[in-house]
Amino acid sequence: MSTEMLEVSGLTAGYAGPAVLQDVSLDVNAGELVGLLGANNAGKSTLINCVSGLIAPRAGRIRFLGEDITRLKPDQIVARGIVQVPEGRQVFPRMSVLDNLLLGGTLPAARADRVRRLEQVYALFPRMQERSAQYAGTLSGGEQQMLAIGRAMMAGPKLLMLDEPSLGLSPLFVQSIFRALRGLNAEGLTMLLVEQNLTLTLSCATRGVVLERGQVAIAGDAAALAADPRTRQAYLGL
Amino acid sequence: MMRPDFFQFLRSPLLWVPVILAALLPYGLSSYHLAIGTLALLYVSLALSWNIVGGMAGQISLTHSVFVGCGAIFASSLLVRLGVNLWIAMAIAAAVSAAIGVFIALVDSRFRLGHLSFALVTLAFAEIGELVVSGSEWLGGASGIDLPKDRGQFWQFQFGGGSGYFWAALVLALICLVVSQAILSSRLGYFLRAVRDNEDAAQAIGIRLFRAKAMAMAISAALSSVAGTLYARYSNFVDPSLLASPNLTIEIVLVATIGGLGTPLGPLLAALVLIPCGELLRGRFGGSLPGLHFFLYGVLIIIVVLTSPEGMVPRLFGLWKRFVAGRARSRDV
Repeated sequence: MSTEMLEVSGLTAGYAGPAVLQDVSLDVNAGELVGLLGANNAGKSTLINCVSGLIAPRAGRIRFLGEDITRLKPDQIVARGIVQVPEGRQVFPRMSVLDNLLLGGTLPAARADRVRRLEQVYALFPRMQERSAQYAGTLSGGEQQMLAIGRAMMAGPKLLMLDEPSLGLSPLFVQSIFRALRGLNAEGLTMLLVEQNLTLTLSCATRGVVLERGQVAIAGDAAALAADPRTRQAYLGL
Repeated sequence: MMRPDFFQFLRSPLLWVPVILAALLPYGLSSYHLAIGTLALLYVSLALSWNIVGGMAGQISLTHSVFVGCGAIFASSLLVRLGVNLWIAMAIAAAVSAAIGVFIALVDSRFRLGHLSFALVTLAFAEIGELVVSGSEWLGGASGIDLPKDRGQFWQFQFGGGSGYFWAALVLALICLVVSQAILSSRLGYFLRAVRDNEDAAQAIGIRLFRAKAMAMAISAALSSVAGTLYARYSNFVDPSLLASPNLTIEIVLVATIGGLGTPLGPLLAALVLIPCGELLRGRFGGSLPGLHFFLYGVLIIIVVLTSPEGMVPRLFGLWKRFVAGRARSRDV
């Protein structure tokens, strides 16, 4: 099973000033869970923000299911099935949990399946059902992360990109969120997981890519990466 | 996805009883008080339509004087210079206002303005608008435009005397309220609140920011413009220093903010309370203490910002809920 789903080639991108990403290439195959690893400022978030269209890359190409999506707008990219869970649990605080979830499924293609998807999200995170009428802003950090993932699932993604879902969460919540992610992946959902938590990510990923100062330092099977001393070196910026 | 609560709202006696009572006011009020009532209703329309952009989408637009001025001055010019029927002129002006609104949304989206920059850019538009009006003879320049005498011909957008304009203003305020509520319970309303709460997250789940903001801007601009046309026809004279000046927007923003942004109730009640208070103050102290009503707004906005940043009306509701809950608890004990 190695149908290429996402194909990033020669990507250079950044904000004002020097490029954050330099000539980065990366593939994600259908059904994989690819861990995108690296220290702070390595360019992980910039990479997935390019994929979801939030940043326009300076050079390079992004293809999804054979189609060039480099210059598409964020909503068009979501409509093609790439959904991002933004960093820092960006839920809509002054809306109920249910409204947050429903908003995730407002694209024309996703609307028909809303009821079924809502049930799936509730099955995945039963807490969301218990709190469906509550304002999202009153949830705990871990619950907000669950909500952000649930909201992304409502759009019916083919590729789910998560930006540091473990950030700032208690170990208990980190565990239950990673258990949910592993479950989704086992059901066939393809994922690109941006993380700093090396051990945890490699324990559930199929493959890993380590970024270092905007370039791919090492890439390979998760098990091989976990055993490779260079992984840790790249991580510590040695 | 119009939600059932919108239809409940349309059927609710809480909507219709006050409207019917208000409609009876011209039979009981003196012409002075009726004029104050008409002005208050016009401000209700202005505050509600501003709230669509400023409250629901959280974009502090200071450009609304352009829309009001367009409805008042441009429509009046079409009538006076070209003899266009004022109903049609009103519609043209509303369409022009909506187009200007969409253009501002385009600027916002193209340059990804933050909240502060958005306020400043829209303020610049308002200043440009005033300069355009005062520099153009066709638009009446700085001296304004006199409208033809009102002969009570409805098909000419003439509503007769004070009662006629009061009812017209009441209908417009009702339209603005119903439109606001319809937006709130529609998909657009959810998009706007998502944009207000978190623009990045809204974009990440595929909401088309420009489309949502442009629609809010267009609706808000068109309604403000219609209120401007009615205001001009009602006062028989277009005063550019009143209707095209950024000061008007500031007044609308103050009223809406004091009332509480987001839901229609805050701007609505604030306009109904503050505008009559301001007018009565002006009537009593206007000779000796001009501008006292602005002082009142100033004091109120300071109090509101310090004690209840969400606005007076949500605050009072919260206090009332706590009071009721407290009583229920003390009964249980």
